[in-house]
Amino acid sequence: MLRIKTFIKKTKKGGVLKVVREHYLRDDIYCGSEICSQCRQEKTVLQRTAPSLSSLVSQSHYIIPDTNVVLHQMDILEDIAIKNVIILQTVIQEVKHRSVPAYKKLKDVLSNSSKYFYVFTNEHHKDTYVEREPGETSNDRNDRAIRLAAQWYQQHLSNAQQHMEVILLTDDAENKAKARQMNIVSFTVSEYVKSIEAYPDLVDRLAKCNVDGPSEGDGKFKFPEHLPLSAVQRGIKSGRFLQGKYQASRENYLEATVYLTSGNDDESANTVFLQGYESLNRAVNDDIVAIEMLPESKWTCPSSLILEDSEEKEDTEIDNQEDVVKPAKKTVSPKQPTGRVVGIIKRNWRQYCGILQSSIIKQATRHLFVPAERRIPKVRIETRQAASLQGQRIVVAIDSWPRNSRYPHGHFVKRLGEIGDKVIENEVLLLEHDVPHCKFSEAVLSFLPKLPWSITEEDEKKRRDLRHIDVCSVDPPGCTDIDDALHCHKLDNGNFEVGVHIADVSHFIRPGNALDQEAASRGTTVYLTDQRIDMVPELLSSNLCSLRSEVDRFAFSVLWEVTEDADVVDVKFMKSIIKSRASFTYAEAQMAIDDKKRKDKIAKSLRHLNRLAKILKQRRTDQGALTLASPEIRFYIDSETHDPIDVETKQLRDTNSMVEEFMLLANTTVANKIHQEFPDCALLRRHPAPPASNFDPVVQVAQAKGFAMNVNTGKLLADSLNKAVIKKHAYFNTMLRILTTRCMMQALYFSSGTLPYEDYVHYGLASPIYTHFTSPIRRYSDIIVHRLLAVAINADTSYPQLLDKRKTQALCNNLNYRHKMGQYAGRASVALHTQIFFKDKILDEEGYILFVRKNALQVLIPRYGLEGTIYLRDNKTSQGPFSFSEEDGSQTAEKVVLHVFDKVIVQISIDKSNIQHQKLQLKLVEPVVPGFSVTPAQKNGQVLQSAGVEQPPKKKSKTK
Amino acid sequence: MAQISLSEAERTFIIHGIQDNCRSDGRSCEDYRHMDLETDVVSNTSGSARIRLANTDVLVGIKAEIGVPLPERPSEGRLEFFVDCSANATPEFEGRGGEGLALDISNTLSKAYDNPSSLDLESLCILPKEQCWILYVDILLLECGGNLFDVASFAVKAALHNTCIPNVSLHRGEDGETQLDLSDDPFDVKRLDIKQTPSIVTVSKIGHYHIVDASMTEEECCLARLMVGITEEGTVTAMRKSGLGSLHPDSLYEMIETGKKVGKDINKTLYKRLLEEEKLGQNKRKVGFLG
Repeated sequence: MLRIKTFIKKTKKGGVLKVVREHYLRDDIYCGSEICSQCRQEKTVLQRTAPSLSSLVSQSHYIIPDTNVVLHQMDILEDIAIKNVIILQTVIQEVKHRSVPAYKKLKDVLSNSSKYFYVFTNEHHKDTYVEREPGETSNDRNDRAIRLAAQWYQQHLSNAQQHMEVILLTDDAENKAKARQMNIVSFTVSEYVKSIEAYPDLVDRLAKCNVDGPSEGDGKFKFPEHLPLSAVQRGIKSGRFLQGKYQASRENYLEATVYLTSGNDDESANTVFLQGYESLNRAVNDDIVAIEMLPESKWTCPSSLILEDSEEKEDTEIDNQEDVVKPAKKTVSPKQPTGRVVGIIKRNWRQYCGILQSSIIKQATRHLFVPAERRIPKVRIETRQAASLQGQRIVVAIDSWPRNSRYPHGHFVKRLGEIGDKVIENEVLLLEHDVPHCKFSEAVLSFLPKLPWSITEEDEKKRRDLRHIDVCSVDPPGCTDIDDALHCHKLDNGNFEVGVHIADVSHFIRPGNALDQEAASRGTTVYLTDQRIDMVPELLSSNLCSLRSEVDRFAFSVLWEVTEDADVVDVKFMKSIIKSRASFTYAEAQMAIDDKKRKDKIAKSLRHLNRLAKILKQRRTDQGALTLASPEIRFYIDSETHDPIDVETKQLRDTNSMVEEFMLLANTTVANKIHQEFPDCALLRRHPAPPASNFDPVVQVAQAKGFAMNVNTGKLLADSLNKAVIKKHAYFNTMLRILTTRCMMQALYFSSGTLPYEDYVHYGLASPIYTHFTSPIRRYSDIIVHRLLAVAINADTSYPQLLDKRKTQALCNNLNYRHKMGQYAGRASVALHTQIFFKDKILDEEGYILFVRKNALQVLIPRYGLEGTIYLRDNKTSQGPFSFSEEDGSQTAEKVVLHVFDKVIVQISIDKSNIQHQKLQLKLVEPVVPGFSVTPAQKNGQVLQSAGVEQPPKKKSKTK
Repeated sequence: MAQISLSEAERTFIIHGIQDNCRSDGRSCEDYRHMDLETDVVSNTSGSARIRLANTDVLVGIKAEIGVPLPERPSEGRLEFFVDCSANATPEFEGRGGEGLALDISNTLSKAYDNPSSLDLESLCILPKEQCWILYVDILLLECGGNLFDVASFAVKAALHNTCIPNVSLHRGEDGETQLDLSDDPFDVKRLDIKQTPSIVTVSKIGHYHIVDASMTEEECCLARLMVGITEEGTVTAMRKSGLGSLHPDSLYEMIETGKKVGKDINKTLYKRLLEEEKLGQNKRKVGFLG
């Protein structure tokens, strides 16, 4: 049966368009229930028995939720207590239209076969399709459609031999009343959930959306009202309001910055500063907001204070914010454009990890939740299990933020586990950095090759057989995802053949399938200290793709012919089959090179490679490539407790640099090739040159020590860095390099069609063009590059998305984001392990001052790659023995003067004063400042076991 | 127009028949042939109608779009007529063959509608000087069986009656730029009042007499004809003579009078039928092109 759906819509140009869609109704849509005998369905979803857990209904029943229930009470529906639910097509469509995250969650639940969620396509069913009536809003029409479908189910199932109720869940009073008139059993979600006695904690997960009424608070509005979306859009169009992404400050909870989005150009975004409750106006980190600029007379600048929202009392008047904000106005630093939030364009609320703030009243059900992310405000939640949630990491979702509430309202989602438990803390870390870490779904796994996997004759025909070549791989110890291998041998004409063989992941991951999509979404493998979150399933990453020794593997090979002096004469790309002879660690490879007695092919090959790499490196350095430093450390993990037992800074050997050098060569060679073949859609990586002002801190520091830094080009900078060496102070140069590293911009993936050729440059490597080709197992960008290269050499077919520069750019944006988050997660993991390592220790360690601040010193401890702050003044009285000199950036106390890069000895311990928020604490040991520095823990640096419970004195100066 | 060859005897037969007020198909001189009318036949237009009169088949679709009013009429919307002579109607229309006729029809229609009393064009204005509704009236000749002008005008009238223009509200931003707000209710529409819109009646002079609704063969015998745009009240809004022969002022007067009389009737009947059809609402049995 044909129906026609008509609607009118406004076009971008301002015209009005009538759109007509054909809509066919069918009589072969089945109910999906096991008890039904009428429908000739092959497979049923809804169970025969759906025992009632609720005391409201005695019989077994199916649940039909309406749109708002699915939108807002997803956490209830996700619970294992809720099964046998009928999701109507009307509901799915509305949810998809209103909220993408909710839609995604709904999809997940639907695909979970143990939940027995059935999708009923009521819009196409001949008996349940409703046409919109004159004067009816589309919401009313959808509600009517939902009721009609519920009624249809009721009548349909009454014909079955077994009795089955259908229950409509709706929070809309009117809808409920109308449903009852039609004799449909209907409840609100809270009525229903409260009646489920077996799962009392479900009640906590109820979202509180409709609580802003007179009952809440004292009716005093604390925040200005948000403008409606239409007004905001008009304002933005007229230029009165600006749109941007809201980023709360990490340091001060009353300050934030909005990054304005002007068109598509999101890099050169302007920023607007916001300060104070009223200006922030209930925006939460990452929201897209509309702001209004304040008149210039009201512009301020960030106060340099570090403020934490530590007020214990709930809902204290916020008038006292004046005291907090005022000091900032006295400062002389230049004022910044300041604005205030007038409306929220899009909330980007997600679920937040954190802990429950201990409440003064034990029996209270309303509690405050403190998120782990400092930029997120505390959240008010209602729970009856507060006692059992103490000391636990929990997850909470924000539901709303009414005008009269100081904190947003939310609900409890789930508990992760004990605070301090390493597994749980890892989980928190992954969740907070948005690292997808759930198991690979069945759909994804279905695209894996079937085991036992073997090379077929057809494969052999298509690929070059390089199994006769002595290839080996060199990787860090314990590495199972080996994605590169090397070889080198002398040719008859005196030249060398050098080969880099990269795991051929694109052979196994075909474009567009679920496996590919999952990998594209994950973007990168994330390395935590004790865990690896794979981008591709383990079968590929550690087995079929990994170039392990003594097995035949597919590879994508780059073969160069180079002269004695490492000049490239010729280059060839090919898909190949290789058989690695050995998987070395860096140390083993180094030994093979150094061991003069070894004369085998592998050792020779390594020696050639090493020699060529040195030439290449020299050449690169001459061109201005930077050698930068960042402290990297390795933990020795106890094999039983998995706690770190010792720390070691990573050692760099010749072999590290050897492998790196050839990978760089391969990457640049491939970058040139794919850019030549696909000038518009090649995926490349660029590293923009930082603006000169970024280097100010380095230049100043070097000047203080008598070195002139030239930062105009990468080459000059590299030269300046090389010259800046103090013989007595061996670590000075490294420190300078560490500082320089921090001045750098982020390297980014991009699609070559989106930028002019000049902007392709990779500053750090001093290469005009660069890409990532060598690690397809752990980076998705490399897979795309493999595909491009394969098309370029006619080894594979292309597909439309590959050649679309906008699609490529969109992919790059995701990869950049994932890459960044992955790195942050990695760093957070190191920090976590450092903290565990110092759990019961007090250590004295050598450190260097990295920055001198007004009220603190930032100290780097090379041995642990650790950076910490020594507060020089008491937080409350802001007094201390030190006085700060702005001119040369030093702190003076009596005879002791502390400059940047000065060596100090610090005592490291864990501040346990707050169980929920343990943090590393540094105290000054040397140079001795009477009344401030502490006595050394143990002269010989031995570990001192502090009594577990006893609190280390917070600050010695205070006890005096 | 499609040519039919008539023998002298056939011609005489027709002329004599008209003299006796009995035409070859049995009609009197002032009778129309049977007409089939259906509105809302093309769902993606704002309004549409199709009329079949004997072998003449005309489909009209109206598309409402927002545009800028003409400078000389800043507070009025407007109608734009466009006639498409499908080569399906007759092979002569192929290529640019139908252009002359198409222009004739659209000119006559725009002339007939070009007066303040027939259609309230001011109601089509959204914002004087800036925005108004423009109704693009597309007339498609599907089959030619004579009397195209009349049928086209009836179909236009019916399509206008069927036209639904979405209600829009305006508000002005701070910078003076106007914004349109569109209701999301498809039933929130404006209808046009077509009571005063003109229909064209073609009066053909054959021999010493004149007839309305000439068939193909009659048109072949006709020396001169007069197209008169007439409203339900009998106001003549447009007039146009075509054909090779000339007309005596007396017969011209008579022909106008006949046109008025027939025009009044046909307008009334058409309006009545349109209202009847509308009353059927959703229960209307759709015929479309397959019925």
